[in-house]
Amino acid sequence: MLGTILVRVAFGMILLAAGSYFYSFRKRSHESLTVARYAYLGTVMLVLSYSALLMYFILTHQFQYTYIWNYSSTNLPTPLLISTFYAGQEGSFSLWTLYTTIIGIFLMQYTSRKGYETPVMFIWSLVLTFLLLMLIVKNPFAYIWDSFPKDLIHTGAIPPDVANFVWLDKAKNVWAQIPTEGKGLNPLLQNYWMVIHPQILFTGFSSMAVPYTFALAGLLQRDYNTWVKVAKPWTVFGSAVLGTGIILGGYWAYETLGWGGYWGWDPVENSSLIPWLVSVASIHTMMAQRRSGTFVRTNFVLSILCFIMVLYSTFLTRSGVLGETSVHSFVDAGMWAYWLLLGVIVLFGALGFGLLLRRMREMPRIPVEHSIYSREFALFLGAFAICFAAVFITIGTSSPIITNIIKGKAAAVDTAFYVKTTLPLGIAIALLAGIGQLLWWRTSHFRSILRSLALPAVASVVFTIGLVIVGVRDLPVVIFSFASAFALFVNILVGYRVFRGNPKYAGGAIAHIGIALLFLGFVSSAKYDDKQTVTLEQGKPTKILDDYTLTYLGNRALDEERYGFSVEVDHANAVYHVMPVMRYSTFTNGMMRHPDILNMFTKDFYITPLSVQSPDDQQGQSYSFKKEETQDINGMKVTFVDFDFNDVEKGKMVTGDAEVTIGVILAVNRDGAVDTVKPLFKRTASGPSYVPAKLPDGSTCTISRMQPNREDKSKSTVDISVTSPAGSNQTKTESLVVEASIKPYINLVWMGTVTLVVGFALTIARRVQEAREKD
Amino acid sequence: MNIKIIIASVVIIAALVFGAISFVETNVEYTDFQTAISTHKKVQVKGALVTEKEQFFDESKTQFVFYLKDDSGKEEKVVYDGAKPNNFELAQAVVVKGRFQDGYFHASEILTKCPSKYEADAESVKKTL
Repeated sequence: MLGTILVRVAFGMILLAAGSYFYSFRKRSHESLTVARYAYLGTVMLVLSYSALLMYFILTHQFQYTYIWNYSSTNLPTPLLISTFYAGQEGSFSLWTLYTTIIGIFLMQYTSRKGYETPVMFIWSLVLTFLLLMLIVKNPFAYIWDSFPKDLIHTGAIPPDVANFVWLDKAKNVWAQIPTEGKGLNPLLQNYWMVIHPQILFTGFSSMAVPYTFALAGLLQRDYNTWVKVAKPWTVFGSAVLGTGIILGGYWAYETLGWGGYWGWDPVENSSLIPWLVSVASIHTMMAQRRSGTFVRTNFVLSILCFIMVLYSTFLTRSGVLGETSVHSFVDAGMWAYWLLLGVIVLFGALGFGLLLRRMREMPRIPVEHSIYSREFALFLGAFAICFAAVFITIGTSSPIITNIIKGKAAAVDTAFYVKTTLPLGIAIALLAGIGQLLWWRTSHFRSILRSLALPAVASVVFTIGLVIVGVRDLPVVIFSFASAFALFVNILVGYRVFRGNPKYAGGAIAHIGIALLFLGFVSSAKYDDKQTVTLEQGKPTKILDDYTLTYLGNRALDEERYGFSVEVDHANAVYHVMPVMRYSTFTNGMMRHPDILNMFTKDFYITPLSVQSPDDQQGQSYSFKKEETQDINGMKVTFVDFDFNDVEKGKMVTGDAEVTIGVILAVNRDGAVDTVKPLFKRTASGPSYVPAKLPDGSTCTISRMQPNREDKSKSTVDISVTSPAGSNQTKTESLVVEASIKPYINLVWMGTVTLVVGFALTIARRVQEAREKD
Repeated sequence: MNIKIIIASVVIIAALVFGAISFVETNVEYTDFQTAISTHKKVQVKGALVTEKEQFFDESKTQFVFYLKDDSGKEEKVVYDGAKPNNFELAQAVVVKGRFQDGYFHASEILTKCPSKYEADAESVKKTL
């Protein structure tokens, strides 16, 4: 009850903060500013205590709350138990709210120094209003008996075996039973990534609202330029954090979840990529506006879009609208949450763009002074290309909605859509990331560009020729590699020069080096990923993928649910040992496969277990016969002659009598000797069964499917499966089916990411300093 | 200045057209086996597992074979490149993505749809009392 009250009071408090901030903004009133600040800090205290309370209930296993019962259990280690705070929708909205309130404290201090407090904090309070309203709708403090009244609420005396209960209405003898154990955390989430990844991602999500609030503050105050300077370090911060979160998620998928790659263009992944792309684009145009006053409107649009795309992404992944079309099961959030999410998109969108339209006419028209050979223009084109990538990814991810509206049937796009549309944009982005760094503000001399271009251009041509010789032949990929190499070389050159002058200014170049490395890593690891599925017999070395000899040594139980499969990998005269893991989870009632990775600097050897075949369930080869068709089975000519319905049994079939036997007559020709073999299908009182028959070479054949056609006998078909005899040379050993792949130069992806983050960090440091100096 | 606007609009329109064409091309339609057979396009088919019929893993080709009955009642053999997916037997419905060829449905992706979370929860709440 207390938790629910805290959220509602917090909601009232933030409304008060928003109202007072607005009043203070309109009337320049100091009293109401004080009220607003206290109301905001009050909200912070309430959200903190609410979160602490939820955490306390989780740590003490209070399963009377549906949310806690749903995601945690008593046997979880403490770090994971803590992480169940945000394992479900209610909790992740709580986490989002928590970070938003905390970021708001810093934002309040920062903006009060800069003279932006009232409008920024007014909008910020509106954002929090939405989040708290969401928590009222998706309340993590809902009682379990309200969620399952039929199963848990009882009337009358309490049976002695009920361990945990609560009286709902003592006078009427109504009581509710409370679970003594929780359902537990999905095993897929049970690893250390769960502890850090959502934290970073939601910090990023929360920060994405900052550029929005500054843009609206700028519009409200008719300040069309200064806000950019003030907002810039926050935008870079948000991008850096969200970017880190995204790639950590990719690494999680690669290393633990066994998705086979770090990126699958899944809606969940796309939904954080889209706002990130918009924020990266806005960093570039904000920079141009700071230098030469251009792109005033563009910056408003992009800063507003940053937050709108966060909301839209949340809508896509949290409202259940994608439903059936993804591998992820998207929990239906319920009608209220659906309309609330849709409503806030419209509301915040209308607020932002409506205000922008009203102010548009007043904005100063700055004559374009820069030439085509200016950095401004390159920045604009770059931002434009990045936005287009965001548009395409949004369209792709929204495909189920779009097709549902147009055709009435939801259909997702194939991942090929994303690759196809973003590849040309990637080429443009990489080229611009190179050229842009060589251009001067306003204008550059054509000759000086050519001079500085020469060295990196030659280097990347040589590099690309090298790639073509090695075997990269796909034209778009060749061009993409060339563009990325060009971006890399230019930025190394520029970065080196800047770094010698003043290391603080090298952030941009370093970030671009990171992007170039990432792009090259995408090409090599995704496009030239070599994959093979293979069955490994225990103890028998099997050579795959040219130079990898795999020997399956055996399995051992790691704990109650997990089995490790020991495989020896012999590659380039070195012997490695890997142990991919399969886990039969009682939680999901399914098999989970965890890969193992050999990191060899220039490549990763990635191995995922698919299944184990023990000797007794060795499945046979399947053959499908039409009537009178002859096929070759283990060197014998086998002909499907006919079905054998004996007349007596036909009668039984009609009367529905218990026992029916149907035979399949097969003529087997083995080196000239002809035999007739008849496997049977029997239906008895205990159910259907198949009686196998022996083939002349000792293997057994079993009916797996029959389609007799009474009208046209020639259309009858039968499927049989043939199993080699036990004890024959097909051995009785266990075998392991694995999918092995080589990811060349995947380390470029991780290196690129780290470099990118370092570049971001340097840029933030510089922007913060810059913002301080000019106080 | 007009030339700039013209170039910009041409680029934008070209990009949008390219996007739209790719969108239509790569859209994987949700349909039934009949359409899959007649079009040979990459589609998604939802159906129920035919439990009476065989399902096995073909080691030599590393393919998983089973039979699926779509919502209109048509039954087809499905060959999937890979091992048996998680939760396969428990799935209320199976969605296969791929194309029809050589007399069977060649699936490149399988999604298993499990009982709705609420129904599952109502079951499991009884187990944790």
